[in-house]
Amino acid sequence: MAETQLADVFVEMADTLVDDFDVIEFLHVLTERCVELLGVSAAGLLLTDQRDALQVVAASSERTRLLELFQLQTDQGPCLDCFHTGQPVSVADLTLAAARWPRFTAAAAEVGFAAVHALPMRLRSEVIGALNLFDVRPGPLDEGRLRIGQALADVATIGLLQQRAIHRRDILTEQLQTALNSRVLIEQAKGVLAERLQVDIAQAFALLRDGARSRNRRLSELSQAIVDGSEQLAPAPVADRRG
Amino acid sequence: MGKDNPGRGDPMTSDRRLRLWAVLVDAAQDGAVTVNHVCATTVSVAGVDSAAVAVILDAIPRELMYATDRRASELEDLTLTLGEGPCVDATTGGPVLVADLTAAECRNRWPVFAPAAVLAGVRAVFALPLRVGGIRLGVLDLYRDRVGDLGAEQLTDALVLADTACAVLLDDATRHGVDRDDHWPDRIGLQHPEVHQATGMIMVQLRVPAAVALLRLRAYAYSRDRRLRDVAADVVARRLRLLPTGTVD
Repeated sequence: MAETQLADVFVEMADTLVDDFDVIEFLHVLTERCVELLGVSAAGLLLTDQRDALQVVAASSERTRLLELFQLQTDQGPCLDCFHTGQPVSVADLTLAAARWPRFTAAAAEVGFAAVHALPMRLRSEVIGALNLFDVRPGPLDEGRLRIGQALADVATIGLLQQRAIHRRDILTEQLQTALNSRVLIEQAKGVLAERLQVDIAQAFALLRDGARSRNRRLSELSQAIVDGSEQLAPAPVADRRG
Repeated sequence: MGKDNPGRGDPMTSDRRLRLWAVLVDAAQDGAVTVNHVCATTVSVAGVDSAAVAVILDAIPRELMYATDRRASELEDLTLTLGEGPCVDATTGGPVLVADLTAAECRNRWPVFAPAAVLAGVRAVFALPLRVGGIRLGVLDLYRDRVGDLGAEQLTDALVLADTACAVLLDDATRHGVDRDDHWPDRIGLQHPEVHQATGMIMVQLRVPAAVALLRLRAYAYSRDRRLRDVAADVVARRLRLLPTGTVD
């Protein structure tokens, strides 16, 4: 039964991974499916951000989110150990782990969790986060459920990779459009200078280039300033025309 | 999400992509595949007569990147001058497929562009948006001198090639480092810099912002039934000067 359910979840996740998918929504749905498939009480995802700091990105319930945040703030707990070692960390009975993580076990008891299982999200040799499963009843996660849990953690990793790839493409598109836009602005600035200083286009470009060089500014920046009128260039030989 | 972004995971699409890539690589003759090759390949697989790629920018509604021939280039010029037509609609919406430009509905939808395009010898236009995620990069425009729809196969090929045009444009940008605008590679240069130069000159002559200056240039070209780039060249050469009152000489 779990097998068909798992297959359904994979199909659902694959369908979500199209161009405009919302990665947070994707990971949130994944934590919900973890709860349904694995029979645990709650699930949460911790991921590294650009600065390699861990962040809570998805949680199947508010109390899970708080507990994940608590781990981050106190810098201790099974999920952090899992992330740092890259190995699964399974705690069947949190009351027996008080010596190892005193603050975390107290906080977990506070919100009613008795067991926690943390699975690493791995990208080749790099660990990028952890999938954490919480249970209100003490007890281990059997081999089969651990495997399914790890499979779901791997799906989360794929979703994340794809989102990063799309994000990179978006940045590239923006750069391309910005660069072409600069080209247009440079041509417009040549026209503005040619007319204002009554020189030809080639002379206008020479003035523009010299102006950028002497002010230590990028050609595109200076062009933008000339086009929007916030900056002017004096004609080449005569630096000051007053009087 | 599926329609204008042919599913990458679909094995049929993968085969198609592979086949079209083979054609492209062939066309590039072992050199780098550029947007020029994508346009040329689209012309042959989609059974059209000419194709062009234009990019949307802040400084100008559309900037021509490449046109396979003089007619495509003129149609792009016309689209920029008039600011209407299937190729304008495709920059904000989905693909615009026009099997017969002489149809009454086309005249209603694009009252100036449709007759002008027909006069230029074009009967069918297929404008495919170039999109990357949520960002609109530009449009791949196909022109044909006879009436009729694209076949299903031709359309699917063309959509895959539009996708490829995006990839090639972005790849060029990565390889040549787009943020160094002082060293912009010549092969992604502007097709008609004189249009922008003339815009700058008119800004000073009429004391108007760039958008208004471009509009004045377009209006002049339209009213005289001339090509935008020719009018621009006259302005740059100081053979033509627009008058400030809204009337032209």
